[in-house]
Amino acid sequence: MPKLNKFSDEELAEIVRTKDNSAYAELIHRYEKKLLRYATYLINDEDLAADAVQEGFIKAYINLNSFNSKLKFSSWLYRIVHNQAINLISKNKRNISTDEILEMGSGTNLEDEFIKKEIKNNLHDCLNKINLLYKVPLTLYFLEEKSYEEISNILRIPIGTVGTRINRAKIMVKKICQKKQ
Amino acid sequence: MSKKTINLEKNIMAKVKSGKITMKPRWYFILGSLLMIAGLSGLSIGAIFLTNLSFFLLRQHGPRGDYRLQLMLESFPWWIPFLAIIGIVGGVWILKKYDFSYKKNFSLIVIGFVLSILAAAFIIDYSGLNDFWSHQGPMRGFYQRLKNQDSVFPTKKGGGQGGQRKFTE
Repeated sequence: MPKLNKFSDEELAEIVRTKDNSAYAELIHRYEKKLLRYATYLINDEDLAADAVQEGFIKAYINLNSFNSKLKFSSWLYRIVHNQAINLISKNKRNISTDEILEMGSGTNLEDEFIKKEIKNNLHDCLNKINLLYKVPLTLYFLEEKSYEEISNILRIPIGTVGTRINRAKIMVKKICQKKQ
Repeated sequence: MSKKTINLEKNIMAKVKSGKITMKPRWYFILGSLLMIAGLSGLSIGAIFLTNLSFFLLRQHGPRGDYRLQLMLESFPWWIPFLAIIGIVGGVWILKKYDFSYKKNFSLIVIGFVLSILAAAFIIDYSGLNDFWSHQGPMRGFYQRLKNQDSVFPTKKGGGQGGQRKFTE
């Protein structure tokens, strides 16, 4: 078999389900770190995040035959891990942003680059004070660098709603970051 | 980073290799899709039929028919629209499972679905199919019992004949 890293995710998924299930290791290798980072942002607990990602990978393997290879594998995988993380949050009653959830206010849009820098610099302070509803699309957009369409596929919400939530989240981040300074 | 995190790939692949986790076969998902299509079709057809039946009964005995409102409210077979509503709700629930449901405006999809059922039911009733079915064919008995406000379900005494009060006289 040629080197697995030459194949796209979708081709690898096809290989796993039809030829060689050990190729799944390559898919895990590609997404392990990204998904752990994403799950940790959501859950705020490394061990629980690792559980969510592990369960996500297992579920993805069990249901691999339901994956439509015409679609993006990464969106499908993120969706599974996202659901696992949300289930874990409800199960453990860990409300990530209980201490200070910022209310929506009016405001103007900020430059994306500024937001990106702010999020990266003050990661926990900025993100943990935002309601999960807005935090998730913002994390996917800025930190995981997903497109609106991919976020729509991961969260199963219309693209318009993705845009609205990201814009509102930007305003919230601006308020939090300004408060800090 | 915790130890659990480091061993993620190893843990999962050990389970895959040992056969502790196996892929569900393709037919399992095909069967699921077929059942979903069958469920949606069945619920839609059922909802159309029951809504059409409600229109038919309203036309027969409604405000312009031989019932007075109070009499109609007392004797109308409410199980028909009730089941029709359950069918519509079930149909909407299945629609939500489809991939396209989140890409479009789901409220519009629901409104379209409900309006389609109402329109189909109205067209069936308007086309005279109910009148035809109530006079001939295998559905005749069912329609006659409904028109006479008898129970369509067999009862202990009357076996479906005269199980409820009649208001047609």
